[in-house]
Amino acid sequence: MTDLRDHEDVLRSGLRKLEPHTRFAEVMSETNSGESVEADSKSNTATRPARMSGAAFRAWAGDRWVEGATSSFGAPAVKRAVDGLLDLLRASTAPGPPPGVSATTVGTHVESPARPMEDLDTEQILQRVAEIKGWASGVPRIKISRAGVRWNVNERQYLNTAGANCFQRVPRTHFVVVAVAGENGKTQVDADIAGAIGGQEVLDGVTEENVRAMAQSAVALLDAKAAPTGRMDVILDPGVAATFAHESFGHGTEGDQFVRKRSYLEPLLGQTVGPDFLTLVDDGSIAGAWGSVFFDDEGHPGARTVLIDHGRFVSGLYDRESAAAYNAQPTGNTRRASFLDRAFVRMTNTIVEPGDRSFEELVHEVKHGVVLERWTSGMEDPAGGQMQIKVGRGHRIENGQLTDLVGPMALSGRVLEFLRDVRGIGSRKDFEMTPGFCGKGHGDYLPVGDGGSYVLSQAVVGPT
Amino acid sequence: MTAASADPDTAFRVADRLRARNLAGPWDVFGERIRKYEIHLSAGRIELVRGPVAVEGYGLRVLRPKDGGLSEGFQASTDLSAEGVGQATADAEANGRFSRVPAPSVELPSQAPSDPRVEISDPALWQDAPGALQRHVAELLRAVQGERGISVTFGSVKVMLTEMTLANSSGLSAGYTHTTVQSEIGILASGGDTGAAPGEYWVTDSGRRLETDALEENVRAWARYAQDTRRARQPPTGKIPVILPAEVLAGILPGALDFMCTGEGKLYEIAPAHDAVVGPDFLTVADDGRVPWAVGSTPFDDEGISRPRRHLLRNGKTDELACDLTYGSAIGQSSTGNGLRVTYFGPPSWNRFTHAPRPSFTTLSISGGAGGSDEELIESARDGIWVQQLGWASPNSATGTFGGEIRIGYRIRNGKLAEPVRGGTVGGLAMSASDEPSLFRNLVAVGGRPELRMGVQVPALLTQGLTVSGESSGSSTP
Repeated sequence: MTDLRDHEDVLRSGLRKLEPHTRFAEVMSETNSGESVEADSKSNTATRPARMSGAAFRAWAGDRWVEGATSSFGAPAVKRAVDGLLDLLRASTAPGPPPGVSATTVGTHVESPARPMEDLDTEQILQRVAEIKGWASGVPRIKISRAGVRWNVNERQYLNTAGANCFQRVPRTHFVVVAVAGENGKTQVDADIAGAIGGQEVLDGVTEENVRAMAQSAVALLDAKAAPTGRMDVILDPGVAATFAHESFGHGTEGDQFVRKRSYLEPLLGQTVGPDFLTLVDDGSIAGAWGSVFFDDEGHPGARTVLIDHGRFVSGLYDRESAAAYNAQPTGNTRRASFLDRAFVRMTNTIVEPGDRSFEELVHEVKHGVVLERWTSGMEDPAGGQMQIKVGRGHRIENGQLTDLVGPMALSGRVLEFLRDVRGIGSRKDFEMTPGFCGKGHGDYLPVGDGGSYVLSQAVVGPT
Repeated sequence: MTAASADPDTAFRVADRLRARNLAGPWDVFGERIRKYEIHLSAGRIELVRGPVAVEGYGLRVLRPKDGGLSEGFQASTDLSAEGVGQATADAEANGRFSRVPAPSVELPSQAPSDPRVEISDPALWQDAPGALQRHVAELLRAVQGERGISVTFGSVKVMLTEMTLANSSGLSAGYTHTTVQSEIGILASGGDTGAAPGEYWVTDSGRRLETDALEENVRAWARYAQDTRRARQPPTGKIPVILPAEVLAGILPGALDFMCTGEGKLYEIAPAHDAVVGPDFLTVADDGRVPWAVGSTPFDDEGISRPRRHLLRNGKTDELACDLTYGSAIGQSSTGNGLRVTYFGPPSWNRFTHAPRPSFTTLSISGGAGGSDEELIESARDGIWVQQLGWASPNSATGTFGGEIRIGYRIRNGKLAEPVRGGTVGGLAMSASDEPSLFRNLVAVGGRPELRMGVQVPALLTQGLTVSGESSGSSTP
């Protein structure tokens, strides 16, 4: 396998060609390798990521950024991309300096798992996923089970005209098992996922007991009651709390949304938004976490940023432009989904820090409510501050006791009211990190991690 | 100038290399040469101009008999050199050794269908995409400035120019060009003397052309929705009449019906049996790959198969299943021209060569029904909700369910649109052969005016099969 850095010279020559025409230019190059192996009740599939590598050039045109990209490192293709950018630069007469501070970071990070996925051949991975799939399909009333492992080694190099040169090689491994239960025309689904930066160890926690329990949960949902409707006490399980941290709260902290006046949180910087036992962070520096980055795509190191500090909203997440606008420092959150996509402020691992309450204590506090379990999706509303989270199942709570299993639900409400009404957060014992993929709007999907423990508050729920 | 190259040939060049290597068939190569231009907006100004983003690549598929079924080895690459094609071929063969679908055999077409031309390529964009894009964005900003109290918070308009080519071991060599436009705009309403918090209407759309002529009218409507979010209240709770227009149905139907009406769903025993009753007899749903200017339309599918209009549901009963070559073979029928290179999840990819074909819908179409105009449909509902936009419908292909938060909608009282609603959720089953309530089973009326929105061409639907969960009524268990 060739090293991405082998193409540094041709990319540097592109930057040199741009330099006389701009006050700042940068290039991010990328390549991927890996494999995806899936087995289900009817078929097996093995695929590899597209053999697709390339680079995105960005330059400051006086009042805006201009950008071009190419899917080839060949000199003619790079020249075409740079020439296209030169046309855009020449079309601009604005004289302004680029916003904020240009990164000057120089560094290399090659993440090397003790047991890399490359050491497993396809046959071995297929045997493993077939075995896992079999655990789920062995449960009566399961119609379909599917298990899959996807691993990917992503290499990125960032160069700019200020002297930054950052290279990172990041292996990520993702696992999913899905069970579909069906009877009399009704269908229900449950799933387990795992994902982290690393290798084979990501699969170590996948046990027969856990997979069978997940499949039995899908079967139980066939006979589950409908979810309750209306506003009530809710307990988010750790995965749902993590989704809340990311989708409902985190998107509103993205500094580019501040600049756009598109964040309901921006006017609340420095103010109290939750109880003093609530702390929420974004941390791209957690070793091995799914959403971690060693350098972002503006050349800043991945870092921990406290967003809510004991109930007070203290910071956003900033790229160079929004940091300049808010007199802050870039937080290492500028990310491109790929070299074919633009850079935005993005989250890395967004976490509700654990509290000190047990799950039983939280349940005991609820007279009438529901536990929301197994997040399936979430949707942001950074401008309006509404939240939407969908879950696969839950349990009703009556007079401090868990009662009926209920089917899929959606949760909605106002984020600030939800934060205000938080009455308890579960302890570290129940803390979980979950791997996900996040879009900025309706595209630009990239890996993000979310974390949390149980959270008790109030919201509107309803069946879906 | 951004004119198409005189001779789109990506797949043909790769195919020549495969033939030189004497690669045994069946195989096919799907090639694309794409140029992408984008303008991004932030706080009412141009923040970023991108383009060209240039990509040329291909997806190679080799099909081999395996254990009574078929192995399907696939590899995508942007390396068109002899060495690169060799690597992609080795990868595809290796992937195929560990892949198996229970399809007895697949016969690749030897020539592309000679169907009439379908309009999917805008000459104006091929002539000057960056210029057309700049003029469109200038018009958009001008239209927004013409509306009091609103502004653009963010946005992007993207134009893709694609030269597609397809070649296979049966001798097929075919291609076409097409244009795609994607837009995403946040319209913010603020100010005024009511003291209300700002409100946003977030528009997402895709098509084949930059529709500049309709901008002023669209911006007026978006401004109204953004303003209305500022005074909107939570909807009521219960199983009440709901009207879903095309914009909302575009987020529900393609995802929720995916396994209900495809050969893949049939293979996995999720699709209901043929002739199963899933809705009233006035409901007919077709898949139509030849709707002019629809993003799902192409002269032939991504395997080279003709794609006439097919009825998925006819008079309330299940009818045909959308199939590609592989899943068609697996369930004992022919391809319906629905072999598309798409993802299972998320918006349509702008570079299809990175995906192997799978059965998927082109444009889901429902003809105008007896429900009449929007006003007549609202009159029929009497007391309910018009859902203008969901946050995300979150459709589930396996269960046929969906559900999402109401971003903006309107209460219907006494057969008239009344106050705006926002928050709460609406959801349930889209389609089911069981006797559970669903969007289709409890359909009350089909509106008379179909509208093309992304992957659907449908009129507004009035249904009583969904649950609205809001604030105002007490908690209950239906």
